[in-house]
Amino acid sequence: MVFSPYGDKAILINFVQEISLETNKKVIALNNAIASAQLKAIEYCIPAYCSLTVGYNPLLTSYNSLCKKIKSLSTNRNSNYKGTSERTLNIPVCYEEPYALDFDELIEQTNLTKKEIIDYHTSTNFRVYMLGFMPGFAYMGKLPQPLYCNRKKEPRLNIAPGSLGLAGLQTGIYPFESPGGWQIIGRTPIPLINPEENKTFLFKPGDLVCFNAISNSSFLKIQNDVSSNHFNWESIYG
Amino acid sequence: MAKEAIFYFEKAGLYTTLQGAGNKGQQHFGLPIGGPMDQTSAKIANWLVGNEAQAAVLEITMMGPEIIVKGDCKIAITGADMSPKLNDKPVSMYNTIAIKSGSKISFGRLNSGCRTYLAIGGKISENKLWSNNVSYALNNDNFVFNKKIEQNSSLSFKTNGSVEIKNHVEKRPLLFNNKIDVRVVPGPEYNLFSKQAIKSFFDNKHYISNQSDRIGYRLRETLKHCNQNQEIISSGIIPGTIQVTSSGKAIILMNDAPTIGGYARIANIISTYMDNVAQLKPGDQISFSI
Repeated sequence: MVFSPYGDKAILINFVQEISLETNKKVIALNNAIASAQLKAIEYCIPAYCSLTVGYNPLLTSYNSLCKKIKSLSTNRNSNYKGTSERTLNIPVCYEEPYALDFDELIEQTNLTKKEIIDYHTSTNFRVYMLGFMPGFAYMGKLPQPLYCNRKKEPRLNIAPGSLGLAGLQTGIYPFESPGGWQIIGRTPIPLINPEENKTFLFKPGDLVCFNAISNSSFLKIQNDVSSNHFNWESIYG
Repeated sequence: MAKEAIFYFEKAGLYTTLQGAGNKGQQHFGLPIGGPMDQTSAKIANWLVGNEAQAAVLEITMMGPEIIVKGDCKIAITGADMSPKLNDKPVSMYNTIAIKSGSKISFGRLNSGCRTYLAIGGKISENKLWSNNVSYALNNDNFVFNKKIEQNSSLSFKTNGSVEIKNHVEKRPLLFNNKIDVRVVPGPEYNLFSKQAIKSFFDNKHYISNQSDRIGYRLRETLKHCNQNQEIISSGIIPGTIQVTSSGKAIILMNDAPTIGGYARIANIISTYMDNVAQLKPGDQISFSI
């Protein structure tokens, strides 16, 4: 871990600069250890692939003493640094039209059939590496190598909320309508941002995620259940 | 006893939003920090009407709204001087103003700065559309950030009847200049930039481009000798960060910037200066020094 000042009220902690499960686990473990220590001076943390940004109130602490404190959290084996519980979320996805938009392009890029693409996607256990780009957008990885694909040459101007995309070795779901360049292969009827529930954001960093293929009619049923408050949220927390 | 005042927006202005305490502490979910761009002006406005420092205020950008007020209330106007008027007569800034029911609040010429703050003594009423202490709002099942106030919309407030009339000595618009020099500290990727790029960053005067909003200010001129090697694995970005694209476009990140970005960060503006940066408008000049 390399600590450096980031502006005058944040610390940037850089880990090995790579996109890997091992490094990201360390980032999230440190993020969780900091969160559970509830240090008054810390205002926010931004865990990313291989870095953690820690924003603090400089009137309550100093850069040096906060670095020291964070280092002690990371070496304290009794803290939550190691054993943070990981949730597994089972997300239903309809990989059919009208939600899947880019299978033609993907089949061309990967030389796989549509069924193979879906099978790869539903049989992989993904992990949320970080959230960003827009609120609630989870960067999940890694895709199996055969699914590697490029972003669209021209980003779409409007992608519907719940759309599931692929880019590089990443997969992710657009939480709300937005422009975007990921290859869209389906859509989930589960809202990713739900201020009505206590669970405002569906995903958090470190979550494990599995995707289940559902039919068009199940998509509509779940969508209906969600909007009429009959959806069993427990069904996605496996 | 708490009474109600309703602000009816006959005209919305160019970009008028309601800004509360912001969303600090939710950045691991990708939520921007939000909150008023010029924190000091917003705090003074709240102080003048007896509110908590982070109570929600109207943030008015470059061109003001026209508001009909129903119900008596106390307001205060701070930040950029946009020639505020009460019932078509000029009204002073930086003091508490008593508003009678049926009055019209309007704005005219922008004399200095970019963002004006209007605080109302009391609390915005709880309703589904606006959340009191966050800068996002829920509307028709969509999460909308800093939802622009639209023409013919209205906001209601539970007014505080016991606001005393106050005056704030410091008249901030006099401080707003369309040419500012701000101090920075080197950013995380400072050392990835060539000597020529760093020289053009510090030696040149930069101009705020038209592509500038609450997310970030793009600077008009490109920095010399920038290249692809400066792209990084996406990492946390915070307001005040100056990131540079591989083609040399510099962007000052502001309150509603995303939390994660992949461009090299050349410098961070020292936070004290951010209130004045928030008052820059397209065409204004900024220069940087260590």
